[in-house]
Amino acid sequence: MSSSTSPVLADGTLVTDLVNTATREVQMRTLSDPEIYELEMERIFGRIWVFLGHESEIPASGDFMVRDMGSDSVLVTRDKAGEVHVMLNVCPHRGMRISTLDAGNTQVHTCIYHGWAFRPNGEFLGAPVEKECMHGKIMTKQQLGLDRARVTLYGGLIFATWNHEGPSFEEFLGDAKWYYDILFKRSDRGMEVLGPPQRFTVRANWKAAGEQSAADGFHTLTLHRWLGEVGNYAKKGEGEGGGADLSPEMYGVEVSSPHGHALRCIDLGRKIRRLTGLDPDQLSVDQKLDVLPPAGMTRDMVEQLRNNLSDEQLQVLTSMPPQVGGIFPNVLFGFVYIPQGDGSVVGSMTMHAYVPKGPDKLEFVNWIFAEKDAPEALREKMRKQTTQLFGTSGMVEQDDSDTWPHMTLAAKGARGRRMTLKYQAVYETGKPEGWPGPGIVNEGFTKDDTQWHWWLHWRELMSAD
Amino acid sequence: MNENQSPSQPLEVPIGTPVYHQIVNFLYREARMLDELRLRDWGATLAEDLVYTAPIRQTRPISQSAASVVRTVKHFDDDYRSVMGRILRLTSTRSAWAEDPPSRTRRLVTNVLVDEGDQPGEYWVTSYLLITRSRFDFDQFDLISAERRDVLRRVGDSFQLARREILLDQAVLGTPNLAIFL
Repeated sequence: MSSSTSPVLADGTLVTDLVNTATREVQMRTLSDPEIYELEMERIFGRIWVFLGHESEIPASGDFMVRDMGSDSVLVTRDKAGEVHVMLNVCPHRGMRISTLDAGNTQVHTCIYHGWAFRPNGEFLGAPVEKECMHGKIMTKQQLGLDRARVTLYGGLIFATWNHEGPSFEEFLGDAKWYYDILFKRSDRGMEVLGPPQRFTVRANWKAAGEQSAADGFHTLTLHRWLGEVGNYAKKGEGEGGGADLSPEMYGVEVSSPHGHALRCIDLGRKIRRLTGLDPDQLSVDQKLDVLPPAGMTRDMVEQLRNNLSDEQLQVLTSMPPQVGGIFPNVLFGFVYIPQGDGSVVGSMTMHAYVPKGPDKLEFVNWIFAEKDAPEALREKMRKQTTQLFGTSGMVEQDDSDTWPHMTLAAKGARGRRMTLKYQAVYETGKPEGWPGPGIVNEGFTKDDTQWHWWLHWRELMSAD
Repeated sequence: MNENQSPSQPLEVPIGTPVYHQIVNFLYREARMLDELRLRDWGATLAEDLVYTAPIRQTRPISQSAASVVRTVKHFDDDYRSVMGRILRLTSTRSAWAEDPPSRTRRLVTNVLVDEGDQPGEYWVTSYLLITRSRFDFDQFDLISAERRDVLRRVGDSFQLARREILLDQAVLGTPNLAIFL
């Protein structure tokens, strides 16, 4: 990326220089500087595909919900034809929010200020006392519709962008799509939310959470050390590391992409060995699926996988499945296998969005999912255990949300802002032999590459015209 | 747990009666235990069939006010076993960072109203709760306000908490986690 197009901050710093590609360092002012934040709203959230929720949240004609695309509130609606629309939640008349609610159902969105009314697809219907023509004659009704974003549904996940001419959603996902398909498009009927998302405020810059979502493996060892100290994660078999040693969980395959997406594929071998007493390498794909169905699926559902995934994807899913990672820039997914007291496993399917709410504030939005075909008993276990470990009261993630504010505060200091975040643990391994998937792939103990690639893409977008 | 938030035939336990005072005493002592981080003591007051939940809240029009309480996905979705697991994490590990160092909290409990429950010895108790939560050297308090809908069960001279639903007032919580009990 040519630095000639890079914006220059008020103190003369080039935005490209915030990320030092020679030493793999990022200046900490990126976590607190209001000027950088404003640029991000334009150059990142104003242009890329933004995750807004799942279509199962608005199943019926007229259903709507209010979400955020960067610093803008948007209406996410379903029209009579079943199509999903995303529009700026701002009345074109005098700037009042069209909806002040979180969700609801209506075929006519009427602004409570002057009564301008809009269809679920954003078309301007009219204003009160039609014959007096409140909207005047300078602009046509067609010109006065709500500001519409470009929308795509992917496995029911709703993404939108203001960049009508920009890359397609498939281009945006790039090589990572091969892996996301294993998670989001593996079943015949797809997944659905178990309810509306949890939402809470964290006084931290959105990137403190965002860069972690790009598959930060190392933090698990220390920030989440309690997992090795008590409970079912601490109870492990021979050779799996007991007590507080979580390091065996750090081995696997990490996938990153030039688009900043990241996935941690964690070895299932130890779990399968514990469940069967057999060498996982000697088991077929079908045998492994029978022993340990993918997180969130039952044995009855595994035959659906053949309808939707390739043999190569099944190979990854049954040996080294993506369990945690991110979709650039502010989405985390977790498809994890939660150990139970009796040695069995309950899956958890969750997604988070870290919505920017100013340079030092983010809204943590947490959705919990299940496969539509999952039986009720499994859904209930998934809902409870996901809530107990992740999100608002989650025993794992409560430690994350308590950490990010301190990074943000540190980044405000006159010296602290000149400190750097370091991503200098570099893979030297490459792909494991026979690995069938695309992308930038490395095996072994976790490293910093995925997060570094996240920052490189941040730099690229921040510098692009 | 059903979604009825009152007994089928409410019979009021009037303010000022001995039972009412015993229940207020239980709630005040419970608040003190939690503020003083005596979590194992608190755990001993829980019934083994405990249901402990905090619904999500949504902003909905007044005509759909019931929809403002969401009981599908919740902020807390716990039972006795999982609450005891939370206590174990907070008291028996060296790594429960969200509450180590601990928040300084005040649980202000007011507006206590009591009805007889459907089962003998059970009481349906509603109370208002305001928690001030201070962390680190932050000048700002996190405020957590809620109505609690409890079922208390008489055991000997005291009570056990058999059910608690915490009806938080914020659609977007103003605290970074619920690593404390409400």
